[in-house]
Amino acid sequence: MELSEYVQKGFQMLADPGSFDSNAFTLLLRAAFQSLLDAQADEAVLDHPDLKHIDPLVLKHCHAAVATYILEAAKQRADKSTLSTYLEDSKFDRERTELFCTEYQNNKDSLEILLGSIGRSLPHITDVSWRLEYQIKNTDPRSHPEISFSCNMEQLQDLVGKLKDASKSLERATQL
Amino acid sequence: MLLDLSEEHKEHLAFLPQVDSSVVAEFGRIAVEFLRRGSNPKIYDGAARKLNVSRDTVQHGVEGLTYLLTESSKLMISELDFQDSIFVLGFSEELNKLLLQLYLDNRKEIRTILSELAPDFPSYHSLEWRLDVQLASRSLRQQIKPSVTIKLHLNQNGDRNTQVLQTDPATLLHLVQQLEQALEEMKTNHCRRVVRNIK
Repeated sequence: MELSEYVQKGFQMLADPGSFDSNAFTLLLRAAFQSLLDAQADEAVLDHPDLKHIDPLVLKHCHAAVATYILEAAKQRADKSTLSTYLEDSKFDRERTELFCTEYQNNKDSLEILLGSIGRSLPHITDVSWRLEYQIKNTDPRSHPEISFSCNMEQLQDLVGKLKDASKSLERATQL
Repeated sequence: MLLDLSEEHKEHLAFLPQVDSSVVAEFGRIAVEFLRRGSNPKIYDGAARKLNVSRDTVQHGVEGLTYLLTESSKLMISELDFQDSIFVLGFSEELNKLLLQLYLDNRKEIRTILSELAPDFPSYHSLEWRLDVQLASRSLRQQIKPSVTIKLHLNQNGDRNTQVLQTDPATLLHLVQQLEQALEEMKTNHCRRVVRNIK
């Protein structure tokens, strides 16, 4: 994992008990995770009374550094040892390293879901509705915004048969 | 049911009493031919020259007549309603009779043409599927994300229409279950009774 000087500098500041006492450290750490995972979070996440005494520029720098690191770690599926190594290299003491790793572990799954959901895909089917209609006479067809189509018994059996083939194949693949 | 003719439409048709009934009959023939084969603008030029009027006048006359015939045929209005509808145009009795005859002679064929023109509901043709597993993306490495890609072939208006869609395994099983219910429903007494008794 390659991280920029900006991130490294942020972590070094965060390691210093003179700049961030235990409480401030924990708050900043949690704020970083919150910014990433909470859809409603905004800049106010850093507006805690116990962070007021810290230079806002430093706060922002460290917040950005931690957020960047967390995303990169989650993207690369970094394990605990990778994290510990980086934190120790940034001069984090034992306690802070443990705290960081614990927070990361707690939020790892959510981060992965978030990152996994970014990307382009084909239109994704979420549900199906069906209607059995016995056509007595032809009426004016209406246009439908979603994908709609008609089929007779044979065609429906064909469609279901094919979808069942696909799901059987899926089952076999999971057993490999 | 009476036809509601717009002012513009009436204006276009106002040309008809100014020419011979043989010309109106010819326009009628042209109108139906255009419905069958598509319009041929050159015909308007020839007619305009022969009748010594502008090309637009001829075109509007034919189009007005076409619209009159298609609307009447589409709604399948009765003889009486047709006569009452064109009565407002103030044409001679001879012309009215001619127009009625044009309608009666051609409405069956016009309805056939119209039904072929109407867009129909897409219908199922076939389906292809493929199982994919996403292993990584720009945002996240080391993934195992299975998906089913489906190419749905539909028929519409005689053309093939293809949709490429995707779904996840859970939804696929849900789809199969839902559609099997539809098949099951077909086998119930209720459906069998309806199919048997309404022909």
